[in-house]
Amino acid sequence: MKVTLVSRSGREFIKGGLELNDSATVADLQEAIHKRTKKFYPSRQRLTLPVPSGSRERPVILNYKKSLKDYCDGNENTLTIVFKDLGPQVSYRTLFFFEYLGPLILYPVFYYFPVYKYFGYEEKRVIHPVQTYALYYWCFHYFKRIMETFFIHRFSHATSPLSNVFRNCAYYWTFGSYIAYYVNHPLYTPVSDLQMKIGFGFGIVCQLANFYCHIILKNLRSPDGSGGYQIPRGFLFNIVTCANYTTEIYQWLGFNIATQTVAGYVFLVVATSIMTNWALAKHRRLKKMEGRSTPEDGLFFLHSCRTDR
Amino acid sequence: MASALTVLRRLYLSIYNWLVFIGWFQVLFLALKALKESGHEHVYNAVEKPLLLAQSAAVMEILHGLIGLVRSPVSSTLPQIGSRLYLTWGILWSFPEIIRYSFFGMKEAFGFAPSWHLWLRYSTFLVLYPTGISSEVGLIYFALPYIKASEKYCFRMPNKWNFSFDYFYAAILALGIYVPGSPHLYHYMLGQRKRALSKSKKE
Repeated sequence: MKVTLVSRSGREFIKGGLELNDSATVADLQEAIHKRTKKFYPSRQRLTLPVPSGSRERPVILNYKKSLKDYCDGNENTLTIVFKDLGPQVSYRTLFFFEYLGPLILYPVFYYFPVYKYFGYEEKRVIHPVQTYALYYWCFHYFKRIMETFFIHRFSHATSPLSNVFRNCAYYWTFGSYIAYYVNHPLYTPVSDLQMKIGFGFGIVCQLANFYCHIILKNLRSPDGSGGYQIPRGFLFNIVTCANYTTEIYQWLGFNIATQTVAGYVFLVVATSIMTNWALAKHRRLKKMEGRSTPEDGLFFLHSCRTDR
Repeated sequence: MASALTVLRRLYLSIYNWLVFIGWFQVLFLALKALKESGHEHVYNAVEKPLLLAQSAAVMEILHGLIGLVRSPVSSTLPQIGSRLYLTWGILWSFPEIIRYSFFGMKEAFGFAPSWHLWLRYSTFLVLYPTGISSEVGLIYFALPYIKASEKYCFRMPNKWNFSFDYFYAAILALGIYVPGSPHLYHYMLGQRKRALSKSKKE
């Protein structure tokens, strides 16, 4: 069959179109485009069905596993596809690794090295126990994240634009340094021993719960990442849609209860709002899959309460 | 019900925009008057009150964008307003502001604005943004030694919340933000100009 490729402005993207087998899949089409254009490897390609002009509907994105025939509207011999370049892409593994590496390395710098000398403070300082525990907690947290990135998480086909590496690293590395500066400060004021124990204890429990959530999510997919989006069940997923985000948020709350810095709480608020956005989007996506029509209610602390069981 | 809300929205936005227009006009008028009669050292004193009012009202615009009252994206209004809030300097900004607010005032109150008005709104920034931004950056830079010496707006450690704020370092950070921020905003305005002026040609 003949596939005509156009850009979003309507211009023909590949002159003369591409000739493919009638039984070809979208993945085959992506390979063909890559072969012709060299620069646009498959994860950079965004292929959609044309939307009638004036229509406000979101375009249908082609699924790489489906065959092209599935998208033919009746006319089996020709197909018009809209192409968009997503820009250079990186795998999620790469993105996550660099995001998390920053906090893992930068935080100990503030703990171990005489950084505060350059801010005008004397070199000698007393280290409170809570500051040491905070170092272990923090580093364990980001070490756990990196391990999960390589050994637990099963990423679907998806990649992320290269520009996100800079944006996300700026976010994690800046906040990491900002918090590390205050927790390890020579003039740091610790909270009570009890409060510290409650904070770290609660945080560790949440991190363990978070790890278990990730295991559940992992088992929804096969090792190569196929399996798409499914509704997770069991454990905390019976109460909230995105239990992994919930436990992550509460884990940071534990850290902040123990260390008590404005910087830490600012980070908590920002991270919570970002994850809330993600949770609402995922909740909407999953509901659409199941075809349920009941409106969800986001109880903010619990990240989109489940209404379906 | 929906149309009553629309009327209310237009009424509110009309009043808001015309009020701020008057504020900025006052700023310009008083600034020029003080400049002529007393010399440049007296300008700030003359414009301080209406300037602070008009500038702070601009915070409302971030809110308007956030709650969906207007269509401007928060990501561009926030740095725009943020930079003006950081430093209030009247004359250069009063020009585009006068044009901008009367433009919106016209649209909200009367439903349209003449094409020369549109042109002014999307063309004066070409000169006034670079000059305005340079004046902001210059003023922050010159104020730095005074900020450091005066220790104004500083909050020190130790304290229960392990928090500190240093106005001097915040000022340096603000200067740093101008570096990527200014080209981004200028580029955004150029895009807006292209869209707005080509759209009006089509009509």
